[in-house]
Amino acid sequence: MKLRRFTDSGIEQFRIFLAKARENANVLVPVELLEDDAHTEVVDPEIEIEDQSFATRADAATYFHAKLAVLNADDVNSDSGMWSWLSLYYFDQVCPVMNGRRTVRNDYTYIYEAGVMRHFYRHLLYVAWRIKQIAPTHNRLFLHSKVHVMDKVTTEVMKRLYLTRIPAIFEAIDRLYWNETSRGPRTSIVNPRKREMPGDLTTRLPIRLRQLEKTYDLYSLSADQLLELLGEEFALSPAN
Amino acid sequence: MNQRKAMNKRFNFTGRKRVARSLVEIEVFDGEPREFAATINIDQLDFPPDADVIVEATCAGSSTICRFPFGTAGEIKQPENALLEGLAGENVFFSLKVVDRTDRFGRILGLAENIRPIRAGKQTATGRRGILPIERAELGDELWRLEFRDQDVFLCVNKNVSGLSERFGFDPLFFTALYPGIIRTILHRAIEQQPDLDSDDDRWPTLWVNFGRKLHSMHEDPPPHDDDEQCDEWVEDIVGEFCRNHKVKQKYLDCSAEGDWGDDE
Repeated sequence: MKLRRFTDSGIEQFRIFLAKARENANVLVPVELLEDDAHTEVVDPEIEIEDQSFATRADAATYFHAKLAVLNADDVNSDSGMWSWLSLYYFDQVCPVMNGRRTVRNDYTYIYEAGVMRHFYRHLLYVAWRIKQIAPTHNRLFLHSKVHVMDKVTTEVMKRLYLTRIPAIFEAIDRLYWNETSRGPRTSIVNPRKREMPGDLTTRLPIRLRQLEKTYDLYSLSADQLLELLGEEFALSPAN
Repeated sequence: MNQRKAMNKRFNFTGRKRVARSLVEIEVFDGEPREFAATINIDQLDFPPDADVIVEATCAGSSTICRFPFGTAGEIKQPENALLEGLAGENVFFSLKVVDRTDRFGRILGLAENIRPIRAGKQTATGRRGILPIERAELGDELWRLEFRDQDVFLCVNKNVSGLSERFGFDPLFFTALYPGIIRTILHRAIEQQPDLDSDDDRWPTLWVNFGRKLHSMHEDPPPHDDDEQCDEWVEDIVGEFCRNHKVKQKYLDCSAEGDWGDDE
């Protein structure tokens, strides 16, 4: 199918479907909306999108980068209609039926809100593409999850724009928090109760970087230099 | 007790030099994207000649920071490409960093923040625009939001609602209904920041607390930030004075006279 984008009315139709699906788990996914000229338009230049199965967010990131490479990256970043259309196209993957039912989450999980600082990074498909765009390497901590899962590591980093602007941050985070043995995040790097833990990702790392940016131009540091400045607290912990 | 002394002062422990904004002159040219030129005069500040000079640009409501290398302290050079890509807002502000490349790599040796263009085309605001600049931004379903940045506090208004930013600037209904609450919120946040009122700091907490002090019925300094009750009293006094000075109730009644929203049928 040709890649399309929702018009404003298309987004509204999708929103109505999401609301209905929350109330009635049996409501049918409106696939006819995908090619409805009244609510969608074909993206120019034309791009063929296939019904892919993504085992992880990394698969989605790789696929979208290949497919959307012909488009201007700024346009991709701001195209709410296209990302929202993609959510409907891959709806069974971003909102899978589990144990016989779908759990439809907040609208911004599926309807991309470009430029809305509190929501833009919570769109399940956009965030896959975005992470690979700003971190072509050292991104496995953020891309190992299933496509329908919005994990705490991703939200805690992506919501802090000052973190994602630091060029060496993804390599530093990878070296600090990836567990090679379990092929996943180290334990205790995020704490749902927001309790501060030495060297953790969600509280201590942002605080320490805020301190360092008063003294250092973090944008010009390599990962080695950044890790050295972070200090022993980060070298010693967290435990695997 | 002198309340001002009870407030903590902001000290600069970083060892970096403060670069006066007047040493950096910025001009922004209209275009898609806009472009800028900077004249930087830091010869007298004795930075190591091989220290990097970097200019950063950003604007309210944007996630983008554009960085431009301007050569070294010993040889400043305007970059060939000084395009403000990804910055759409009217309020563009710049920072200048002088960065160590030898002894302690990456250390900031000199800093000037919140530099506004002295000249600009129609797309860009120049100079400081009061203590609460209005910025049009993507806000989803929200109409407005306060955005507290390091240097400024902005009143961000939804760019997708036609005429909204103008109404915030000129509509007496908006002014009377919203601004007292906005002032209350900002003053509380400003007290929490514990600004040094004796300094020439022009960050928003200092500007707003000074604004409050002038408006306060007794021109009192703010109380210690951890005394909630006194802080409430200080802020409420100022909001009350603001409403009296601007005849907020009467303005509201005058401008809402056309539509009768009373209880009578």
